[in-house]
Amino acid sequence: MIEINGLTKNFNSLCAVDNIYLGITNEIFGLLGPNGAGKSTTVMMLTTLLKPSSGSARVCGYDVVKDAKKVRQSISYVPQDMAVDIKLTGRENVMLYAKLYGVPDRNTRVDDVLELLGLTERSGDLVRTYSGGMRRRLELAQALVHEPKVLFLDEPTLGLDVAARKKIWEHISALRKRGMTIFMTTHYMEEADEYCDRVAIIDKGRIVVVDSPKNLKLSLGEGASLNDVFLENVKTDEDQAGFDAFKFRTMLRRRS
Amino acid sequence: MKQIFYYFERDMRKWTRSRINVVSSLVTPAAWLVLVGLTLPTTTENYLEFLTPSILVMTMLFSSLQGGALMIFDKVLGFLNKFLAMPSPRESILLGKILFISTRGLLQATVILLIAALLGVRIHSPLNIVLVYLTLFLFGVLFSAIATTLALYISDHDGYAAVNSMISMPLFFASNALMPYDMMPEWLRMLAMVNPLSHTIDCIRELFAGGLPVEGMVGLAVAAGIMVCVGTVQFRRTGV
Repeated sequence: MIEINGLTKNFNSLCAVDNIYLGITNEIFGLLGPNGAGKSTTVMMLTTLLKPSSGSARVCGYDVVKDAKKVRQSISYVPQDMAVDIKLTGRENVMLYAKLYGVPDRNTRVDDVLELLGLTERSGDLVRTYSGGMRRRLELAQALVHEPKVLFLDEPTLGLDVAARKKIWEHISALRKRGMTIFMTTHYMEEADEYCDRVAIIDKGRIVVVDSPKNLKLSLGEGASLNDVFLENVKTDEDQAGFDAFKFRTMLRRRS
Repeated sequence: MKQIFYYFERDMRKWTRSRINVVSSLVTPAAWLVLVGLTLPTTTENYLEFLTPSILVMTMLFSSLQGGALMIFDKVLGFLNKFLAMPSPRESILLGKILFISTRGLLQATVILLIAALLGVRIHSPLNIVLVYLTLFLFGVLFSAIATTLALYISDHDGYAAVNSMISMPLFFASNALMPYDMMPEWLRMLAMVNPLSHTIDCIRELFAGGLPVEGMVGLAVAAGIMVCVGTVQFRRTGV
């Protein structure tokens, strides 16, 4: 569904995404990485919002630069900002998307997605009165209204409480069962571990590892968690600066 | 391009749902008209008749420039990215904004026209009333296109407010809005003569007096058309 070939993005002298290769089939694919690793930049190139500096990518067989419009027809993108109009009702928010996508028989379709995400009862209320979890589900409803083949989610559970996060994941898993490909970024390792079919860890614009969470954990040995895999593969700024936590602690101890 | 209308509809709904915005945008121009039009020492025979066109154009100017903030908010809050990832033509986002901002300006202008009529200002031919609206609309399109294009380059709200007041205040006071050309000092007259605001005010005054300022209106239409094209090109370029 998604083929990435040597995708690169430079912002002046900064290389945000550095020559990455990935092939994503019909699955839930998680892109993990520390802040500023290039996750969002990658997603923005795949969703035609940024032009790659070099390399190419195809989504559903369409080139993200040459056939941008065809790509946009087959995907949905939910950024991390939670952009829903609080002065409109839930239904109006979804209806706007149905109209913009030119969805046929849109009244029924809007009712369907609202039902699917459990928002029917509150669909006539202004979004101002919605909780964070409901707003996120409303964004999913907007994204699903035109039945995309690939769904891009940037930090879908950021800032939500445990119950809301679980609910979002249940919806995402249900979509996967219905045959949708989901490409997402996240910071939450436990969630990636539980729900993603495969994950890639990206650091400083480079893909460090790609595999199923299970295989990645096995590679570190018995009892390892995805967190361990992450820390093993990602060089933090402290590591880079030669910061040694052990030495630091002994130094502090000696002082006191 | 149905999408232009959908974006327009979204902004219109949001605006009408916030009562304080609606009330303030209708009261402010009315206050100008009453407080300035009826109280300032008169420089011409019928100052209110002289001032009403100025207040109309001023209202369009301020409300168009303020409208750029809508684009800033859409950009900063992440709406723009969601819209840009959709298959509908990207410039319809921009054109929808321009249409909404200009229409909102015309609603404000209607309040001013009604109050002016109550105070005794008359436009004699119905055709001229239509042409007053058309002129104001073209002016609104011109400046909302400028405002939204500027907003694409400025990424925060404070910066935009600063740019806005930097443009709107000098433009208003260096025009023939408050006094006729022959009462201005020489240097101000030079500035006022090249100010697009003065041109529009001249057009409206002529329409009020029963004339037909074809040249001025065509000039305004051309300027608005050019600005919309420039905005569209810039929008396509910054979009990707």
